[in-house]
Amino acid sequence: MFFEIIGEIEEIETIAIGGRIRDIMRIQKLYGPGRWRKLKGFANVKLQTGNIRKAELHWYEAHGFGRKKMKIKRFLD
Amino acid sequence: MGNQKENHKFVLCVENKDCEDLEKRKIYQILPDHDAEKEGYLRVIDESGEDYLYPQSYFTLVHLPREAQEALQVSK
Repeated sequence: MFFEIIGEIEEIETIAIGGRIRDIMRIQKLYGPGRWRKLKGFANVKLQTGNIRKAELHWYEAHGFGRKKMKIKRFLD
Repeated sequence: MGNQKENHKFVLCVENKDCEDLEKRKIYQILPDHDAEKEGYLRVIDESGEDYLYPQSYFTLVHLPREAQEALQVSK
């Protein structure tokens, strides 16, 4: 991965569920059907440069699939 | 007023390691994010239709004629 999460992801909250997820069709095609949720949270991430920044992260989860498509939405600090 | 079109920036994806929402040899629109650029990242509207940060090294900047830019905007 092009960044590494340092420590725990904090303040996790669901931002969309099922059909409310913009690209739900792609998610289901890639990973299979499930009760997919899109979540966000905040964590320190180690970048390719070696710098550590606090970032807002977005990803998808469904029961039995774990965290998928972890992405950086923005840097916060 | 109104006759100045916004000049959108586009990049060509040349690497998509660990990025399921990017496709190689495909053009993506980028949005300005100076803070991210200082860290070597670009804000890219990816296959999910939302903008996220990706390594600059995964892209090369392309200059598209205005007609092509408009066509890409319409196709979103």
